[in-house]
Amino acid sequence: MKRRSFLKNTLATGTAVIAANAGLLTPTTVLADWNKKAFSAKTTDEALSNVFGSANAVESSDIKLKAPAIAENGAVTPVTVDASTMSGVESIAIMASKNPQPLVCEYTFGAAAVGFVSTRIKMGQTMDVIAVVKAGGKLFKAQQEVKVTIGGCGG
Amino acid sequence: MTIKIRMRGKVKGPIAEVKALIKHPMESGVRMNKKTGKPYPAKYIESVSITVNGTEAVTSQWSGAVSANPYLAVKLTATKGDKIAISLTDNMGETGTSQITLK
Repeated sequence: MKRRSFLKNTLATGTAVIAANAGLLTPTTVLADWNKKAFSAKTTDEALSNVFGSANAVESSDIKLKAPAIAENGAVTPVTVDASTMSGVESIAIMASKNPQPLVCEYTFGAAAVGFVSTRIKMGQTMDVIAVVKAGGKLFKAQQEVKVTIGGCGG
Repeated sequence: MTIKIRMRGKVKGPIAEVKALIKHPMESGVRMNKKTGKPYPAKYIESVSITVNGTEAVTSQWSGAVSANPYLAVKLTATKGDKIAISLTDNMGETGTSQITLK
């Protein structure tokens, strides 16, 4: 019993020390860590302000959001966000407004990338898909409603 | 265990479209196991990074709301001969990498 608790304690302190070291030595990797706050946010506004620091996004017709009007299977909803006509696209976030945690994914682009993303997301019910694009320091958004028919048959 | 990735690239003028299919359960941690009444433990990809010739082009963070066996397509300014690499990590610390050379 003693041996067991001894091992447990040494292991716990050991990892704590490693974690502390990592924090001190590599602040950049810590910054790039998974944004837990944004992904656990319960509303789209909360998620947005945690990702971009602001929730004021302006609707823009330059963002081409492609999603099906009716998704027969909400677990695989294809979503394409094309903001390639906009200049200076820094990042794109895709949100599903009524999911328990709305933020689905967030992409940050470097110099060699075009503002374009295509992926597949899960949706629990009929709701809006929202694409938020950060371009030139400003936030733009586009949204579209997707009807999720769980019973199949395309009804 | 490493995560399996299938990647393909297509050059169209100055832009290359890169598509990737990833084999991963993407368990959100919400789905219930009806027999035990407990949720399946969360297991999903948290971060994805795509590089062109070693320079980071796209970095991404995902939640468990990305579909199982994720599909991903991005457009990069790259031409023939450029090396495109993708690497990803899930919340359990599992990783996967794949690399292609554009033709």
